[in-house]
Amino acid sequence: MKMMNTKNIIVALALGALSLGSLEVKAQQENFFRAIGTPHKPKVEIAWNRYYTAEGLWDWMRKIVAAHPNLAKVESIGKSVEGRDILTLTITDFSTGKDTDKPAMWIDGNIHSNEIQGGEFSLYVAWYLTEMHADNEFVKQLLKDKTFYITPTINPDARNNFFKEPNNANTPRSGMLVLDNDGDGQAGEDMMNDLDGDGHITMMIRKSPTGRFIKDPLDPRRLMQVGPDQVGEYEMLGQEGLDVDGDGEVNEDGIGYYDPNRDWGWNWQPDYIQRGALKYPFTLPENRAVMEFVMKHPNIAGAQSFHNSGGMILRGPGAEEDLNTYNREDIRIYDAIGKKGEEMIPGYRYLTVYKDLYSVFGGELDWFYGNRGIFTYTNELMVSYLYFHKEAGRGNQEEQLKVDELLTFGDAFVNWKEYKHPQFGTVEIGGFKKNFGRAHPGFLLEQDAHRNAAFTIYHAYHTPKLSVIDVKEEDLGGGLKAITATIFNERMMPTHASQDLKYKIERPDYVTISGAKVVAGFVVEDEDMKKFKEQKSSPEKMAVENIPGMGAVKVRWIVSSASNYSITVDSAKGGKASWKK
Amino acid sequence: MRKFLLTGLLLGSLICGDAFAQTDYPTLSQVTQRLQKLGSNASVELKTLTKTEGGKDIHVLKIGTGNKDQKPAIAVVGGVEGFHVLSVELALQFAEKLVAENSKVLESTTFYIFPNMSPDAYEQYHAALKYERRGNAVAVDHDRDGTPGDNGYSDINGDGLITWMRVEDPMGDWIVSKEDERVLVKADRSKGEAGKYRVFKESKDDDKDGKFAEDLKEGIAFNKSLTYKFPVFEPLAGDIAVSQKESRALLDYLFEQWNIFAFVTFSPANNLSAPLKYNAADARKRVVTSILEKDQAINAMVSEMYNKTVTPKAFQQTNQGTDGDFFQWAYFHFARLSFSTPGYWTPEFKGKTNAEANYLAWADSLGWNSFVPWTEVKHPDFPNQKVEVGGIKPFVMVNPPFEKVGEIAQQHTDFILKLAAMQPKLEFHNLKTEALGNGLTRITVDLYNNSPLPTHSEMGTRSRWMRKVRIDIDATADKLISGDKIKLMDSMGAYEKATFSWIIRGTGNVTIKAGASHTGFATQTVKL
Repeated sequence: MKMMNTKNIIVALALGALSLGSLEVKAQQENFFRAIGTPHKPKVEIAWNRYYTAEGLWDWMRKIVAAHPNLAKVESIGKSVEGRDILTLTITDFSTGKDTDKPAMWIDGNIHSNEIQGGEFSLYVAWYLTEMHADNEFVKQLLKDKTFYITPTINPDARNNFFKEPNNANTPRSGMLVLDNDGDGQAGEDMMNDLDGDGHITMMIRKSPTGRFIKDPLDPRRLMQVGPDQVGEYEMLGQEGLDVDGDGEVNEDGIGYYDPNRDWGWNWQPDYIQRGALKYPFTLPENRAVMEFVMKHPNIAGAQSFHNSGGMILRGPGAEEDLNTYNREDIRIYDAIGKKGEEMIPGYRYLTVYKDLYSVFGGELDWFYGNRGIFTYTNELMVSYLYFHKEAGRGNQEEQLKVDELLTFGDAFVNWKEYKHPQFGTVEIGGFKKNFGRAHPGFLLEQDAHRNAAFTIYHAYHTPKLSVIDVKEEDLGGGLKAITATIFNERMMPTHASQDLKYKIERPDYVTISGAKVVAGFVVEDEDMKKFKEQKSSPEKMAVENIPGMGAVKVRWIVSSASNYSITVDSAKGGKASWKK
Repeated sequence: MRKFLLTGLLLGSLICGDAFAQTDYPTLSQVTQRLQKLGSNASVELKTLTKTEGGKDIHVLKIGTGNKDQKPAIAVVGGVEGFHVLSVELALQFAEKLVAENSKVLESTTFYIFPNMSPDAYEQYHAALKYERRGNAVAVDHDRDGTPGDNGYSDINGDGLITWMRVEDPMGDWIVSKEDERVLVKADRSKGEAGKYRVFKESKDDDKDGKFAEDLKEGIAFNKSLTYKFPVFEPLAGDIAVSQKESRALLDYLFEQWNIFAFVTFSPANNLSAPLKYNAADARKRVVTSILEKDQAINAMVSEMYNKTVTPKAFQQTNQGTDGDFFQWAYFHFARLSFSTPGYWTPEFKGKTNAEANYLAWADSLGWNSFVPWTEVKHPDFPNQKVEVGGIKPFVMVNPPFEKVGEIAQQHTDFILKLAAMQPKLEFHNLKTEALGNGLTRITVDLYNNSPLPTHSEMGTRSRWMRKVRIDIDATADKLISGDKIKLMDSMGAYEKATFSWIIRGTGNVTIKAGASHTGFATQTVKL
């Protein structure tokens, strides 16, 4: 040991021989010091102040897997419309059991292609868990108990289109299928046109003696309306573009239009009722891949979908018609987690889609909950509160102009510039860039990613955790013995949501005794009053319909012989537990 | 079944001279042979859309001439219920008659014929164990106990048919019908009637859960798994609508066929002998559950035509759609005119009110042997009770003896051809050209829908999956002084006209074109 040089110390550190003393040594020698809550020396160094293309995200995912082979795996769960892989990370401590034997959390982002930061936020969860694992007891235990399935983008085609092709902050939103939007028999015959070639579809204005606007003399970026008794100078022409097909409309038939978040199979409704719906549930291969993965992973008990924007933690129902689907017991759990989220993510509000946002049939969160009984939130990432810690409201132009003046120094706005338009004559083109407003500016990304990641970790923590406690034996005489076992769930979520119980979505939990000769088996309804419900067939494998959150069920057997018996619990969403005498 | 058919043949008048004449509903391979024969015709394209889980082909015949995709089309669908074997034969015979005897209609109309959407279930008609099957060959856990298909039917009496079993039990709620002692009816508790039997489909409690035939060894029923009112989690429906290969393949195909304006489905639902009812409140709701008012009027008109064409008088036709079915999907979610008929029903006979008693009285009068007499059996689940197996044989109430099919097929062919004759028809009338001087010409023309049907059902005007009526003029932008180069109309009503005018500069010809795939196109060349 006395021969150990600096290099050896660092090697030893890397191998995990941590002590406070050695930390100090390291810090002094490395000229940087650990910040609380952040992986200190991550094996994978990711810059959290920019956005990554689909390939960029996948590159990080593969690097995470390469750096943490015992904690992360990556697989393709399907293909997109354009044939890209939908890549999913599985994060768990594989040394403590198969991923499918543990309660799991599903996380995805970017279902709407322009809602880009879901990709980075999802990736952040994977990065944080894998990089913190060595140093943090909570994360260690979490990955022993739980699995995370993380799919940073479930819309890789149009994510890339958003970055690489001309768009505004709201496009494409759909994936890359091109449909006939105006009913003229042709699909995509009048897409957006990037007239000034800057990659952003902004606005067109034109000088006009009858115009009702002027440029604000104090801020020429801003068009302001003149008074009813005043003459203006400019008219608004709308979005940057051309009338390509000569039908008198500009940009009326572009990519899409459809909404991947109206394509899910719970109370699905067609397009005339729910705009954006496609032909039938899971028309889209991207969503179908997720659906099939979830169906094959009944251990998924919680789910999170990242959207933008507005600073919301949303739960279902998406439509008032589904009000009865969400029942009281489950809403209590939703509320407990959602309200905690409001504390964790300043500026975000916990809301219900149908009454606080707008009606959505066929949305992802309703499918996860209604069809699979999975507690699910959608977070609308980015809220203007993050700019100045004021409630200026969504899309407040005054505030946005101020942000670009004081915080981003003109980086967010394309200044008005003249352009000779073939149909409108001389126009001016300008306005906010596609990556401003809905997307976080770089300096706000990491903090908000961490807070949202913390929220999903809290959510995942409260998926069920089962254990067999308090196994009691009672001699009944005549060679018979009663064994009563208590199965405890020490987290908030039950093994079966009440929606699940109502429709028998998932199989019951099984509590099995082995090494005993079972005469009869019961679920204990009231131990003190000796109320037992007998299961006549296969009493050694008791079927329990649910193990409630922060609660327990008791199972009782009458056995004629039992010495070294063991008890196992097998729950689809609650994982496994065992006890041995 | 066979015996009953032979009896029927002997008594029936139809003794066909053709040595190869069919005497029973065709097997799947016979269906395929007939489709292949049809496919050899120049006007017919035969295509396989997919294979079912059971390895059976889902076929479509596209029948037409010339530019098939630009003419209004009718889709004819059979086999939406596997036990409704008649429906497959009706779709097939329609195709055969269309090609052999009515090919002139193909000049103006295209037909899509999907003869059998439930081949996995259809096969049960010809299987050693016969029962009325709906589901395909996918393994499904209908009772959601964790094990798929663990309590299907059992042929307790070994006759090769799944009928019923009745268990004598004072706690049962079934009694013998007063109209026919073979028939069981529910005891009327409101009249103080005591029950005598418990009644189950012929089965054993294989999974020992106290229930009988609750987890059938068949999969998803096509006609219970579409998106309109999808009965989620119910047996035979599954967890997700349109989850099956055949349903997805059919819909994927239909969504590419923009010219279909109407569906005729042979299925147990019936909106032809009587139209659907309009309910203003349900039609106004966001999730629409009533036919829309204008579409109801169309349904009534077509229904009247049907009743003039198809002679059997309707009796006990109360099924106007069931949750997740196909015929309602075609209207409520695909926005096309949608008609369905079972093609056959038992006529009213001797004033019986109970459907089974009525059927048996009629069958008896024709000497049909369609009842398995109640016979006592030993049943392992009821060791100490009297159990009898019996009841009306499977299939016979919804499928007539085969020799009856010819007439039904002829009348329904006539009906479909009359429906085709009603299709939207766009025409140009009253063309006027006026020289305005200095090389300018004003063109005025009326576009007329010469049809008792509108170009779009009321539902169709709401759907993005029906194209609008598009009017194009091929003048270049510099020549077009006024008027729209492209104009879109949501709909044109029955016998409705719209007037258009343009001012064009220069000389030569311009062409005006109007229409949509499902209305056909009208063109008009104008000399300036």
